[in-house]
Amino acid sequence: MKITLTVNGKKREVEVKPHTRLLDVLREDLGLTGTKEGCGKGECGACTVIMDNKVVASCLVLAPQADGSEIQTVEGLAGKDKLHPIQQSFIETGAVQCGFCIPGMIMSSKKLLDEKINLSEEEIKRGLSGNICRCTGYVKIIDAVKEASHKMQSGGEENV
Amino acid sequence: MKKQSKDVKNRQKTSGEDSSSYFRPKSKEGLLQILRDYEEDFTIIAGGTDLLVEHYQNLYKIDRWLDLNWVSEFKEIKIYDDKVEIGSMVTHERLYKLDKIKELYPVIQQAAADVGSPQIRSRGTIGGNIVTSSPAGDLLPPLLVYDAKLKLISKEGERVVDANEFFTGPKRNVMENGEIVEKIILPLRDEKYKGAWVKVGKRKALVISSISLALNLVFDEDEKIKESRICIGSAAPVPLRIESAEEKLFDKKASKVKIDEVAQIVADEISPIDDIRGTAKYRRQVAFNITKSALSEVINQ
Repeated sequence: MKITLTVNGKKREVEVKPHTRLLDVLREDLGLTGTKEGCGKGECGACTVIMDNKVVASCLVLAPQADGSEIQTVEGLAGKDKLHPIQQSFIETGAVQCGFCIPGMIMSSKKLLDEKINLSEEEIKRGLSGNICRCTGYVKIIDAVKEASHKMQSGGEENV
Repeated sequence: MKKQSKDVKNRQKTSGEDSSSYFRPKSKEGLLQILRDYEEDFTIIAGGTDLLVEHYQNLYKIDRWLDLNWVSEFKEIKIYDDKVEIGSMVTHERLYKLDKIKELYPVIQQAAADVGSPQIRSRGTIGGNIVTSSPAGDLLPPLLVYDAKLKLISKEGERVVDANEFFTGPKRNVMENGEIVEKIILPLRDEKYKGAWVKVGKRKALVISSISLALNLVFDEDEKIKESRICIGSAAPVPLRIESAEEKLFDKKASKVKIDEVAQIVADEISPIDDIRGTAKYRRQVAFNITKSALSEVINQ
């Protein structure tokens, strides 16, 4: 069956089977390999994308369920020649180790910061609770979200 | 060349339509029509946060998906004078973010906030939690302490079942093949009531509870306990109401409640097992502790 998605602002039409995962549509059909597959059962958050303004594990969404929806992936964040403040903050605070979990972490952070710009540490932890980092570097990841919040409040968002 | 018959209702079409193996009715009537038109078995999918994990793990064949995500009536929450109706496709995220649920059914709101992770709460639904019928389902003890009723529909008709009589064993319930949970009906009470929710697990997020407790006490004008409900999850084949402990609380003033005695009854009445999430002995001890702390909290509020 055919489905239509808006991915990072672009309309895409894809032929899928009912049991195809949204994750596979993004990675295989659309070549957006920024979204990672970790556990494949919704526990690690590596495949997190924003679908109709909700964070979802794209490994647990059937492609037909995403028909007509608006999807944001990590590829859609950066401006033309400038990274998104969240991406920039992850680099600056040294939050990235092996990097595999980072696209998911960033999408969860994006959703958090879209909803509320001034976040407590508890709120950040809760918002990222569905994303696992196996290099075990959560402290700097939380620092990165705080830094991104500062950047975005002081107008860092204009380039996005 | 063989001609295709024109009256095939589900021929593969473009975006927005049913395909031969994936059905997405947009309304309750559309759903019933599909159930009437096709005799075949469907695999019914709600949020998919349990079903898809199992499906991709075992890769068993699913011939026909019936997706409830598009049925608009199932996403509604309706508030009446004497009851609240929650559509089966309302997500955990909506339940815990809605002020009205927090005000009227705080135990449900707190339990919904404790489900999985943001990614799971945004997809997982109250109806899915019920139909999966895991003894560890987070929303089940809260539904039982509020005397929820479940409305089931099928092509043959409809019926209403008490949530307390719905669960029959681990992942088993009274539903017949072809039945679907349409909504959850919660009574609204005039009296004052207070509740508590406790979930114990190995970590805070993304955890199947080792044991959980929901509590609701209804008070009369003299601050006496007029009705009490205690329900324990993950410590019996079904979410279990501890009626003998509930009786102990009946008609008592808060100050007269013997909390330790009630907590001991709860610990004695459950039938926990040893498993990956904790031993039976551990669960009995924790059942005692959380009953004690939840009761103290509610009574001393």
